[in-house]
Amino acid sequence: MFNILSLVFKYVFIVIIYMFIFSIIKLIYLDIKGIRPIPADSGTYLKLINRKDTLPFKVKEYYPLEDNVFLGRGNDNEIVIKDPYISKKHLRIVKDEDEYFLEDLKSANGTYVNGDRVMDVVKLNNGDRISVGQVEFLFVNKE
Amino acid sequence: MLNRGVNYKIPRNLLFLFESIALFLMFMYYRNALDRSTIIYGLSLIFIIYISNLILSKIVSGDNYIFLIVTMLASIGIIMIYRINYEQGFKQIIWISLGIVLFFATYFIVKRIKGWEKLFLYYCLASVFLFLATLLLGRRFKGAINWISIGGISFQPTEIIKILAILMIASYYTNYDRFKEKKWGRYYLIGIMYLFVFFLFLQRDLGSVLIFCSLFLALQYIYDENRKLVLANIVVLMFSGLLGYVIFPHVRIRFETWINPWKYIDTIGYQITQSLFAISEGGFFGTGLGLGHPDFIPEVSKDFIFSAICEEMGILTGIGVIMLFMILVYRGFKISINQRNKFFRIVALGISILFGIQSFIIFGGVINMIPLTGITIPFVSYGGSSMLSSFIALGILQVASEELDIEED
Repeated sequence: MFNILSLVFKYVFIVIIYMFIFSIIKLIYLDIKGIRPIPADSGTYLKLINRKDTLPFKVKEYYPLEDNVFLGRGNDNEIVIKDPYISKKHLRIVKDEDEYFLEDLKSANGTYVNGDRVMDVVKLNNGDRISVGQVEFLFVNKE
Repeated sequence: MLNRGVNYKIPRNLLFLFESIALFLMFMYYRNALDRSTIIYGLSLIFIIYISNLILSKIVSGDNYIFLIVTMLASIGIIMIYRINYEQGFKQIIWISLGIVLFFATYFIVKRIKGWEKLFLYYCLASVFLFLATLLLGRRFKGAINWISIGGISFQPTEIIKILAILMIASYYTNYDRFKEKKWGRYYLIGIMYLFVFFLFLQRDLGSVLIFCSLFLALQYIYDENRKLVLANIVVLMFSGLLGYVIFPHVRIRFETWINPWKYIDTIGYQITQSLFAISEGGFFGTGLGLGHPDFIPEVSKDFIFSAICEEMGILTGIGVIMLFMILVYRGFKISINQRNKFFRIVALGISILFGIQSFIIFGGVINMIPLTGITIPFVSYGGSSMLSSFIALGILQVASEELDIEED
């Protein structure tokens, strides 16, 4: 009785072990894919210009832009960057009739688009350089 | 992110299924000698592992895979040990449970306390103290002095020193700029490592010498700015390897049995040839649990557990175990790359290298690919010290996998 069970179970064990390994590899694959979720050839997004490993806080390579996006140091923003030079609620990017506008929310250190400080609201064009705190982004609009 | 909870269930449940079937089979195998406490211990181990994985996936923000992989490895190991030796299996259940408790304890302690990178001197002193204690109080066990027993509990200090050494190397390279200013600051670490290797030579624990040397060499290769020193170190280690071959007769024996084990099949080559027979006996799918003869191999539950796994559960399972180690080491490297805190970055790298080197040396040894040195497979082999220290190392790795804020305002 035991011998038969053991003979059957040895195949079961191998199947289970390989399914286990496979499911973990799948999870890791999804995890790696999740690091760059934005395909670089479509939509509107902010692209990081700084080299990622020069910044001492977590920042992604790409940030997709929706209709209304807040950027700041606080956790309730859509784009959270823990840079000490960025205010809690730093800026807002709004979409209005297929045009994107950047609004500075009275941040302490200001927002610069192509080197000029944003006083109130400014329209964004494809290829604009946005700098906030120590971070610099490229605005990409492919629509 | 939404289907995250669903995804993690699959490997966890597979692990649970594997353990349940294997335990059931083991109870069938020992059906005449079964008592109630064994059943309770076995079932509670399955429960502990399942619950720990569940809790871990809820509370930690870091890596969720390493603990899963390790519990799978430990489960394969415990089933095999339990089948080989009833009492050892029973003890191993306790070691694994203690290991998991220590894992969580290490996780919370290391995470809560700051300033681990400043304790360079203390890591050194603790290691040297443990080495001296081993030499003075230790007892000789198969040619090597590496056990000390205090009040009936015996343990291997080298297992703890491995972790201390990683922390020490990491704290040294984190504060490298400060050490560089001192006159001999560049040579502090290399001096201390040679001291460690010297102590290990005195203990004649050559497996550990190999582990320490490769660990140190790997981290030095990555972090040391002085490239000539790295090269000099490699030359010195090669030379001392040759010296070891000339001085110690049991190194020569290991080397000769590696070149041609069949010539010494009755004496010194017995162990390795039995291991090779066992692996070939198993074939791809193995003989089935309880149907092979892994007990022909001396020391089967410690160094040669891999041969026993190959014999009874098949080479495919053996490959599976190697793959699990590969994923574990890969995750360790990935954790190290993502970590911004330099100290924990080096520690994560060191721990992954430790797991990788250790498993490579023993897998290579039992299949006669490299000369055999008696060390344990982390998480799989029988042995309290090795199990506990591996779980402590894993706890540190778990901390390193999280985002440790260094620029908090």
